Amino acid sequence: MDARGVEVERGGPADLQARVLGAGLCTACGACLGHCPYLKTLGERVAFIHPCPLPQGRCFEVCPRVSLDPDRLDGQIFGSGPADPLLGAHLSLHFARALDPEVKQRGQYGGVATALTLFALGSGAADAALLTGGSPTAAPHPIVARERASVLAATGTKYSACATLAPLAPLLRDSAATIAVVGRPCQVAALRKIEARGEAAHRLALVIGVFCFWALTPAFYRFLVSRADLARATKMDIPKEGGVVFSVNGGAVRVPLDEVRPFIRPACQSCFDPTAEWADLAVGSTEHDPGWNALVVRTARGQALLGAAVNAGLLEVKPYPAERIPILRAAVRGKKLRVLDALDAGRAEAAYLHLSPERRAAVRAEERAGA
Amino acid sequence: MSLQALRTADPGRTVVLSGNEAIARGAMEAGLAYAAAYPGSPSSEVLASLAALARERGFYAEWSTNEKVAMEGAAAAAFAGLRAITIMKADGLNVALDFLTSLAYGGTNGGMVVVVSDDPGAHSSTKEEDTRYLVRASHLPLLEPTTVEEAKEMTRWAFDLSEEIRLPVLLRSVTRIAHARGSVELGALRSPPGEARVDPGARFFTTSALHPLLLQRGAAARELFETSPFNAYQGPADARRLIIVTGPVWTYAVEAVALLGVTNAVGVLKLGTTWPLPERLLLSHLGHARDVLFLEEIEPFIETEVKALYAQHAAKLGLIAFLGKASGHVAGPAGPAVGELTPEIVIAAVSALVGRPFEPRTPEFRRKVEATALPELPARALAFCAGCPHRAAFWAIKAALELDGRDGVALGDIGCYTLGSMQTGYFTLKTVHAMGSSVGLASGFGKLAALGFQQPVVSVVGDSTFYHSVTPALINARYNDSRLLLVVLDNSTTAMTGHQPHPGTGRSATGEPAPPLPIEAVARALGLAVEIQDPLRTSDTVESVYRLLRTEGAKVLILRSPCALLPWVKRSHRATVDPERCIGEGCGCARLCNRVFSCPALVWDLARGRARVDEVLCAGCGVCVDLCPRDAIRLEEVA
Repeated sequence: MDARGVEVERGGPADLQARVLGAGLCTACGACLGHCPYLKTLGERVAFIHPCPLPQGRCFEVCPRVSLDPDRLDGQIFGSGPADPLLGAHLSLHFARALDPEVKQRGQYGGVATALTLFALGSGAADAALLTGGSPTAAPHPIVARERASVLAATGTKYSACATLAPLAPLLRDSAATIAVVGRPCQVAALRKIEARGEAAHRLALVIGVFCFWALTPAFYRFLVSRADLARATKMDIPKEGGVVFSVNGGAVRVPLDEVRPFIRPACQSCFDPTAEWADLAVGSTEHDPGWNALVVRTARGQALLGAAVNAGLLEVKPYPAERIPILRAAVRGKKLRVLDALDAGRAEAAYLHLSPERRAAVRAEERAGA
Repeated sequence: MSLQALRTADPGRTVVLSGNEAIARGAMEAGLAYAAAYPGSPSSEVLASLAALARERGFYAEWSTNEKVAMEGAAAAAFAGLRAITIMKADGLNVALDFLTSLAYGGTNGGMVVVVSDDPGAHSSTKEEDTRYLVRASHLPLLEPTTVEEAKEMTRWAFDLSEEIRLPVLLRSVTRIAHARGSVELGALRSPPGEARVDPGARFFTTSALHPLLLQRGAAARELFETSPFNAYQGPADARRLIIVTGPVWTYAVEAVALLGVTNAVGVLKLGTTWPLPERLLLSHLGHARDVLFLEEIEPFIETEVKALYAQHAAKLGLIAFLGKASGHVAGPAGPAVGELTPEIVIAAVSALVGRPFEPRTPEFRRKVEATALPELPARALAFCAGCPHRAAFWAIKAALELDGRDGVALGDIGCYTLGSMQTGYFTLKTVHAMGSSVGLASGFGKLAALGFQQPVVSVVGDSTFYHSVTPALINARYNDSRLLLVVLDNSTTAMTGHQPHPGTGRSATGEPAPPLPIEAVARALGLAVEIQDPLRTSDTVESVYRLLRTEGAKVLILRSPCALLPWVKRSHRATVDPERCIGEGCGCARLCNRVFSCPALVWDLARGRARVDEVLCAGCGVCVDLCPRDAIRLEEVA
C-alpha cells in the first residue's frame, strides 16, 4: 500500500521480461542494471543473459515501464495537489542560457543542463554527476563526472537511449557520493522509483530532466556510417521543422525527418511524459531561439539551485514568452493524447500507465480546450 | 601407455597391452612402414603408440588433418609396396568413405589395413554407428577381434591377407577391445623393407570395368575365411541350439553358457572374419541347429546376413527359429540395437535360448546393494573442466546472443565444446552434427535473408576441427557472399581425444618441430576478416561477438586460450570467495556463480550458506570474478 492506500504492484524478472523487455517496451534507462548479475546491456538493449529464478525483484519495481502511476509520483515529489495535466507540476517556466562561453558553445542550445551540472559539482551540492557522453554520431555511453572536463565531455543532446543510470547502483553501493543526474523523462521516473524504495535516501542531490519526445535506436548510427558527410558532426538537433540538423565544420547539414523516423525506438511511442514531470528542473529546446533553453522549475530544491547558479553568474534566465507556451503545451498534448487513446483502447504498450480517472479527464479536457 | 611392453623384442613373451596397443604391436610385427590417423575415441591410442615408437622402429607415423587424407597417405605407401595402416573412429570412416570405395576398385599393392573403432553405447561419440554396413558397401574384407590378443594377431594377419587379395582390409574394433587390457603373446618385430617403388606398369584406377575384379577378390577373401582360425566353434557337434557371436561379446557368451550350465547343449560359433561371410562354415552349423541366437555389437548385421543366407538354403536346412535383435531377445533398456551389450543382456538372451532362468543374485541382495551404495554416489553432469576456456566462450556467446535479442542461433561442432549444447555450456548450441558441419550450415543460413530469415547465426568450431574440415565451407561462404560468423575456440590442442598435436601447434605426431599454420593465416588468406580475442576476458568477448553478429559478410573470431589441462599451462592465480562479502542466499544473485556458471571449482558451502572455491580444482582463470554482483570473488596470485 502507498500513502493513498493504493496497492503497490510487486513483480519479478519473469514479469519484467514478459511485460517490458520481451515486449519491446524497454526504454534502456538503466535503472534495473548494476545490482543484478543476470541483467546486462549492450547496444542500448537491456536483456537477461540467463533467466533469473527469483519471484520478485528490484528490477521490476524500479522499471518506469511497469505500474507508472503519475499521481503517486506527484504525491512523492510535490505532495498532493493538482498538477498541470500537460506540463506537470511546476513553479515557473523560463528561457535560460549559460554565460560561460565554452559551455554555451559546446552545450545544446543555451547549455543550461551543462551549466547547472557544473554548478552542482562546483558548489558542493553534488559530488558526482551521472551524464551521457559521446558524439552525436556514435552510440553514447554513461559517464560518472566529478570534474569540469568530464562534464564538458558529456555536453550536447544524444538522440538515442543510453542506459545512463547503469552506474547508479554501484555508485550508491560503493561510495557515499551525493549525485546529480541529467536524464531522459523515463530515467527521471525510474530515479524516483528508486528513491521510493529508500535506496538513494539523501543521495540524489539534483535531478535534471531533459525534454524527450522520442529516442532513436542504435540502427540510426549504422545509417550515419553510410553518410560520410556527417562523420565529423559535433552537434545534432531535431528542430520543430527542417528535419535533422547536424553541425559540421561550422555549417549545417540537414537530413529529412522521414529518413530518420524509421529509427524511432518503438518503446518511445507509448511515453506519456515528454517533459520529465518529476525532475527538479527540466530542460529542453525553446523551438524558437537556438541560443536559449526552455527551463521548467518544478521543485523548491531545483528553484534554490537555479537561484544560486544565477547569483553565481553562471546562468541568465528570463520568463518563458507567454505566446510560446501554447506551442509547448500543444506538442505535449499531442503526445499524451496519442498514448491516452492507446490506453483507452486497451493496447498492451500503454498498459504500464496507471492513470486515475481524474487525470484522464484532465488530459481529455485539454484536448477539448486545444481543439 | 605400455611403451616398454610395446617395444619388447622377445618373441613368445606375454605382456599386458590395451587393445589399441595390441593393434599397434600387430602392425609392427607385420613390418609396418607407414601409419596415419586422425584422433577419435576410442581409436586414438593406436597412432599415439605407433608415433611414440616410429623413429626407433624406422617407420613413418603422422597425425593427419582428417581421416580421408590419412587413408590416402596410407594408400600411397601401399601403392609403393609398403605396409601401411590408417586408424579412425566410425565417424572418420564416413569422412574417408569416398576414397575407400574408390580404392576398392583399383586395389592396392603392399598390405593396407584400415582400423575403425566403433563405439557401442557412444561412450565418447555423438552417435552409435555400425561400420560394417559401409564395409559391405565397399566390397572389402572385414575382421572383428574378440579379445585383445586376437586384435594383435588379426592386425598382423590382415597385412598378409591384403597383399594376397590386393585389397585394403578393414579391422573393426569396439570400445571394449580398444580400451580393454589383456595378455598378449608377442611375436617377432619386423622392420620395414627399406625400399619402396611403384612399378611402372602398375595402375590404380577407379573404373566400373574393375567391378568384376573387385567381386573376384572378395570371393577370394571368402574362400580364405572358410578355414580361418579366427572363426571357431565350441560345443557339441550336433548342438540344436547355436549362438553366432562376434566381437568381445563372445567372452560374455562363453561365460553365460557356462553359468547356465549348458556347455553340453549349446554350440558357440565365434566369427572373426565377418565380411564376406564364410558361407560354407555357417551352413555347416545351421545344418544342426534349430534355434539360433545372434550376439553382436550395435546393429543386427550378421543376424540379417545369416538369415538371408539361410533363406537361400532354407529348403535344405528346414525350419530354424532365429533369436536376436530382430526378435527382441537381445535388447538393453532402450531396446534392441541401441546401446552397448552387457553380460546381463547376453545372459538374459542365452537364458531365453535355452529356456532356463538365471538369477545372479537374490532380489534381497540387490535391494541391499542399492540401498547401501547408490545414495552415496553424487550425480554429476558432463561438464567443462575448471578453468576451461570453452566455458568462458559459451558464457560470452550466450550473453551476446541474448543481448542481441534476435533469437540468434548457435551451431555446434565436434569436440569438447560439443558440451556447449548442455548445462555446462548453458544450452547455447542448437545443432551438432559432423566435423565442420556447423560452418556449412552457417553458410546456408547466411543466404536465407532474402527468403525471410532474420536471425543471426554463429558457428562454433574447435581448432583441430578447423583444420579437419572447415575450410571448404569457409571458401563456399566467401565465394557465395554468405553472411557468417565463425567462432574458433582455439585451445592449442586436440583436447577431447587426448591432446594430440595439429597443424597449428608447431609439432608433429612424433614430436618433431613442424611449421605452425595459424588459423588466422588460413582465414585471412581466404579473404576473411579475422579478430582474435582471449575468451577469459568475457566482457570483451561479448562485445566482439555482438558486434560481429551485426556486420555483413563472412568473418572469423578466434577465441584463443590454451586448454587448462595442457601440461605447459601453469596455474598463476587462484580465486577465493570473501565470506564477508558473499551473503549467500540473502543475495539476489540466486547463486549465479555456483548454480548457473557451473564451474566444478565453484561449490556451495551448505553449512555456511555461502559460495566457496575448491582450491584443488580452481585453475585461476578468473572468469568467475566478474560474475559476482557483490565483488565477493577475488583473484590472487599463487607463488
